[in-house]
Amino acid sequence: MLTAFLLIPAIGALVIALLPRGRAQDARWVALVASGLAFAISILVFVQFDRDQAGYQFVDRFEWIRAGDAGFSVQYALGVDGLSTPMVLLTGLLSVAAVLVSFNVSLRPKEYFAWLLVLETAVAGVFLSLDLIQFFIFWELELIPMYLLISIWGSGRKEYSAMKFLLYTIAGSALMLVGFLVLGLTAGTFDIERLTASPPTEAIIPLAAIFWFILAAFLVKLPVFPVHTWLPDAHTDAPTAVSVMLAGVLLKMGGYGILRIVLPILPDQAQDFRVLLAAIAGFSVVYGALITLRQRDLKRLVAYSSVSHMGYVLLGIAALGPVGLSGAALQMFTHGTITGLLFIMVGLVYDRAHTRQISELSGLMHRMPLIGVVMIVAGLAALGLPGLSGFVAELTVFLGSLEAHPVATIAAVFGVVLAAGYILWTVQRVFTGPPNERWADLPDANQWWERTAMGAMLVSILVVGIYPRVLTDVIESGIDPIAAIVQRGG
Amino acid sequence: MSDISEGAVWAIYFVPLGAAMVIAALLRGRPRDAGRLMILAIGVSWLLALWALNTVHGHHGESVGFAPHTWMELFNLEVTFGIRLDGLTGVMLVVVTSVALLVQIYSTEYMRGDGGYARYYAYMGLFTSSMLGLVLASSLLQLFIYWELVGLSSYLLIGFWFNRPSAAAAAKKAFIVTRFGDFGFLLGVLLIWSKTGEFDIATINANAEELSAAVLAGFTLGLFAGAVGKSAQFPLHIWLPDAMEGPTPVSALIHAATMVAAGVYLIARFFPTFEAAPSEVTTLIAYIGALTALLAATMGIVATDIKRVLAYSTISQLGYMVMALGLGGYVAAIFHLFTHAFFKALLFLGSGSVNHATGTFDMRKMGGLRSSMPVTWLTFLVGSLSLAGVFPLAGFWSKDEILLDAWNHNRLLFGVGVLVAFMTAFYMFRAIFMTFFGEYRGGEVSDHGSADEHHSGPHESPLPMWAPLAILAVPAVLIGLVNVDGDFGHLIEGALPEALRHGHPDLQSVVLVSSTVAALLGIGAAAALYHARMPAPEVLRARLGPLPGVVENKFYMDVIAEDIIVRRVLYGGIARAAELFDTYVVDTAVNAAGRATRLAGDISRRTTFGQQQAYSSLLLAGVVAAVVVIFVLSGNVLER
Repeated sequence: MLTAFLLIPAIGALVIALLPRGRAQDARWVALVASGLAFAISILVFVQFDRDQAGYQFVDRFEWIRAGDAGFSVQYALGVDGLSTPMVLLTGLLSVAAVLVSFNVSLRPKEYFAWLLVLETAVAGVFLSLDLIQFFIFWELELIPMYLLISIWGSGRKEYSAMKFLLYTIAGSALMLVGFLVLGLTAGTFDIERLTASPPTEAIIPLAAIFWFILAAFLVKLPVFPVHTWLPDAHTDAPTAVSVMLAGVLLKMGGYGILRIVLPILPDQAQDFRVLLAAIAGFSVVYGALITLRQRDLKRLVAYSSVSHMGYVLLGIAALGPVGLSGAALQMFTHGTITGLLFIMVGLVYDRAHTRQISELSGLMHRMPLIGVVMIVAGLAALGLPGLSGFVAELTVFLGSLEAHPVATIAAVFGVVLAAGYILWTVQRVFTGPPNERWADLPDANQWWERTAMGAMLVSILVVGIYPRVLTDVIESGIDPIAAIVQRGG
Repeated sequence: MSDISEGAVWAIYFVPLGAAMVIAALLRGRPRDAGRLMILAIGVSWLLALWALNTVHGHHGESVGFAPHTWMELFNLEVTFGIRLDGLTGVMLVVVTSVALLVQIYSTEYMRGDGGYARYYAYMGLFTSSMLGLVLASSLLQLFIYWELVGLSSYLLIGFWFNRPSAAAAAKKAFIVTRFGDFGFLLGVLLIWSKTGEFDIATINANAEELSAAVLAGFTLGLFAGAVGKSAQFPLHIWLPDAMEGPTPVSALIHAATMVAAGVYLIARFFPTFEAAPSEVTTLIAYIGALTALLAATMGIVATDIKRVLAYSTISQLGYMVMALGLGGYVAAIFHLFTHAFFKALLFLGSGSVNHATGTFDMRKMGGLRSSMPVTWLTFLVGSLSLAGVFPLAGFWSKDEILLDAWNHNRLLFGVGVLVAFMTAFYMFRAIFMTFFGEYRGGEVSDHGSADEHHSGPHESPLPMWAPLAILAVPAVLIGLVNVDGDFGHLIEGALPEALRHGHPDLQSVVLVSSTVAALLGIGAAAALYHARMPAPEVLRARLGPLPGVVENKFYMDVIAEDIIVRRVLYGGIARAAELFDTYVVDTAVNAAGRATRLAGDISRRTTFGQQQAYSSLLLAGVVAAVVVIFVLSGNVLER
């Protein structure tokens, strides 16, 4: 089943590539079917996942490169546990949303939708991999579609932004590869499960160095201060769907990597550096929020708010306790849907007004009440209003981290106050106020694909906000073994 | 009558919520039906609330236990939703539903013809249910959730006329200012859970004595910070006057009778914990309350907008209640909350009626409305006398209990209380003389076209508006009698452990005399200045030098908060520094690396076929380089 989830988007991309030139406009339908099927599978996995059973489920595995004499082998191994299941669901959901909001793309649609589907496969591969080498391959594979999607279908300084994104990630992943290779060669396996069960106690370079090598790649991806500046540029210049995927799913690869690989395999090092990590997290939250306050471009604003919100993920991780780690996993999911929706809404505004400058927009509520209402709901979710999913995640992070890191937690809680500031101020400037003549002819969200994408995201935000157990039971089963390892290490 | 069932108590909360959802989903195009549905829903809640009160009365105010339900569970974190029904809850339920019901009826006329009529009722339903959820909560976190949701409804309703920039700004200000208080509240929630693993209010209260002084101080100060925001206490009071941008019935319900009282309710709910906390905390609470009462009263004296007079009065009276809680006067505070809800809602609705007739809230443009608006005039007079604390109206009894607690515990605060009582009587009768006496000064012809500014000559408001005024006038006169024998106190003290129940205190003649004299002096002074004009207020103002100007500028506290702290220091200072640092320090390093790579990219582009290839070769080169490095480094591993 997981192999199907992984391959269906790739097959969809192949089908699109084989479409005759004259039928380029059908690419979007192929993409919708492929991502829709994948989404259906992800729902199936989520529903069928046995919440009472620890360990990986739905495992697909065979050996790929066998080099037992050299002390290692490379395998194809997929599986999900309580940590990856929500990420798979998130990938399925956001990919459909990304395809839907791209329905009006007319520039080279065949290539566009094909790359979008390749991106889905790559991201899915990262969340499903049970082998470090395989993980790394998918991690790198994701760069190709991202680079092309930003640099061809983007806007503004798109090539600069795409290159910046690329360089940052490659710099990180080179270090990560070094770390992976040392780990794998030392332990004689690249299998994540086996590494987790018996992690190496020493290697040719200090384990602390390996810890930072691997962590660096994930911190860049997350991102946190001071390795975050690729994010606002990439977001600002990327097309809407790519922003949705980037904020919604790609950033989560960072947090996921830390939870899946760094903490279970190097728990002692995580204990050693927990205070530093918490400090980075707390600082990122406040720093990101302060800069968000200053933004004049809607998309950049949402991008910087992501820096702030991903700080919560790292804070939950740095707490190293079960509640904090669960909070981090929850925050990854909820931020994915909330920020994904915010980017969709900003994209809809931009499609209509052809500007994202906050100072030029005003009184849009009169012309586009539906867009306005959904944007406000998404904003309220981002500022942690109870009843919406962001609150549940942030609260869990804070509850998990106060005891371990009081100062960083207080700083992070203050970030919530700043979030209220930048969200409500933006709403005030863009949506309220008297009707603006300049925008008198703009239509509301009137296309079925726009409404479907908005609706699906909104439902996920409301469901998790009102009934968090949908998600928390799954996450608990995934976090439990990780927390046990980390606490034993400490 | 049998005891109320758990399902019926939940219905108090769910019926208005359900009605709000039905309106939002189905009745947007049928505004009159939306209004009727909400009145019906809140009527049902009101009846059930009376049943709940009757039940707790039968239990002498002690908790009627219902088992909580698990909402979320993660390891040792368990969040429950449940009902706590005791004397305090029962009283609050009746206050909220009674005022809400009358306000909804009043609104059918006040909001008539407004384009957002259905939206208004949906928001009102959301607010009412959230407020009821807050009052019913048995868990601290549950309470916090509804606390935030009433904040949301308040935001939506203040900004109801969102095409007015001033309303949109006021809504944002209210939300953000109260969020500063909620920052402390949330930290308190986190702290108590970290130390005890508990959210259950009854358990926290019962075990408060076992906590260390530091934890207790931190927790109670956190809760108090939340109360300071919500109940508009100094220095976070600045949002409430601006909140008057919302429709007037909203001000009556949310910003006078119910939501702003939630802070007082919160402290009362955790009264045993506050009593266990270091005495410095309760002393601080008492002084903040007294300071708020005094400052707000001075601002009420100079305000020229009738609604703002009432807003400052609300802040001042909330300060009274907070002061009482700080002095240990649990019954006095809740009793005043109770009576205040009725007469202040009455006064706000009265100001709306006046506005309906004159098209303005500016008292300088009113005058002489006694004859043209007899019901509004008489009920406003009754409400003002009650607020001023004139015997034997409701406000007299509750205010006296607060002053009695002050007399017994802190004579300085007693003095402040009497001074505030004088000022209260003064500003209310100043408002009465400016509004209802003298010559009509023309009102204002509205050009906004919104429902808050109907225009035509002054005339009495229609029945759906004046009937609620008449009904509210009854409790404004009589409701104080419920505690003459201590019955009310007995009921709400049922919520406290036995050791904290004090029974009914004896009245002190010195308190009765001083408060009555203060009230009469206040009325007399207002009559002298604003009716007889001996001396004329302008003359007096000139003699006082710069002082009135300072007060009219709200002691420059809005300027300090908004222009200096937020705009200059936070936005223009710290945030700007962070932005510049990000652009010129963090990103410059990156761009330098970027330029170097683009150079490399150009080179490889020349040797290959284009961007895609340049990219892949770069990627490949990077990976190969890394692999080579690692294999060289790890040679000895491979040899093994």
